[in-house]
Amino acid sequence: MAGEAKTAEAPFEITDEMRAQIGVESEPWTYEVTTTSVRMYARGIGAEDPVHYDVDFAEQQGFRSIVAPLGYLGTPVYAPGTNDPTFGFPRRGGGPRLNIPFKRLLDGGTETEYFDVICAGDVLEETSHLADLKLRDAAMGKMLFITNESVYKNKETGNVVAKQRLTSIHY
Amino acid sequence: MTEQVYFEDVSEGQEIPAVQITPDKQQLVKFAAGSGDFNPLHFDEKFAQNMGLPETIVHGRFKYAVVGRMLTQWAGHKGRVQRFGVTYRGMDQPNKPITARGTVTAKKQEGGENVVELDVWTEDAEGKKTTPGTAVVALPGRG
Repeated sequence: MAGEAKTAEAPFEITDEMRAQIGVESEPWTYEVTTTSVRMYARGIGAEDPVHYDVDFAEQQGFRSIVAPLGYLGTPVYAPGTNDPTFGFPRRGGGPRLNIPFKRLLDGGTETEYFDVICAGDVLEETSHLADLKLRDAAMGKMLFITNESVYKNKETGNVVAKQRLTSIHY
Repeated sequence: MTEQVYFEDVSEGQEIPAVQITPDKQQLVKFAAGSGDFNPLHFDEKFAQNMGLPETIVHGRFKYAVVGRMLTQWAGHKGRVQRFGVTYRGMDQPNKPITARGTVTAKKQEGGENVVELDVWTEDAEGKKTTPGTAVVALPGRG
């Protein structure tokens, strides 16, 4: 209002409402692991082991098909309007909704726990939840660390094959 | 493919064979296609400069995957990586060597498996650790 001094914006803090989002599960999404997608990822990281390219060789080594390189947990099924156009991840219902003021984003870390080998032909069901929130003071101001955990199940067997935790840094 | 390593051959403090790669822009475009991460920060100079960076940077997940390559090459087809994680502490630029390294920190038998724990990381051309982390690998025994 005219003549009224502006109130300084309160520094960002993690609220109880935000903490209440921890553990809230997203809707499931399908991730496909195909011979072509495994080869594409293997080429992308410069892998040379034929176990990622040659189906006969992989089977001779005792695998179901060519093996997904570490770090590759399939490709989310994509359709325009339902997935992020830059990163491909699904825009789906459920899961946390955090209203945060930060504009800048950094990749903070990746951790994967494997319970089985993932091979071409596997179809995975992934669900995600907010696992952790941390606020740290840094030279450039407050930084919010958001960790999400995704759980990947083999749709045919129902077994959990991997869990992956991704930390993003917002500042 | 390197020769299969066995649990009995491993000792604490041992360095595992490093993997080095010098990713050019084409390599990073291949990674974008394989991973589905088409952030222009990794292939568009002007976009990177608008973000305040001198040039494009290597995907953190690319470096993570190179650590994964090192672990699988070492563990062989009979070994199994149970867990590996890294944090991204520094940026790497294309056309400069990135070296993944690892050192055995512990070995034990757990749940009927031969388990090896490692410190892992990538380092840049100056030897700075830009992607430190840890890993747990199950190895076959000779018995």
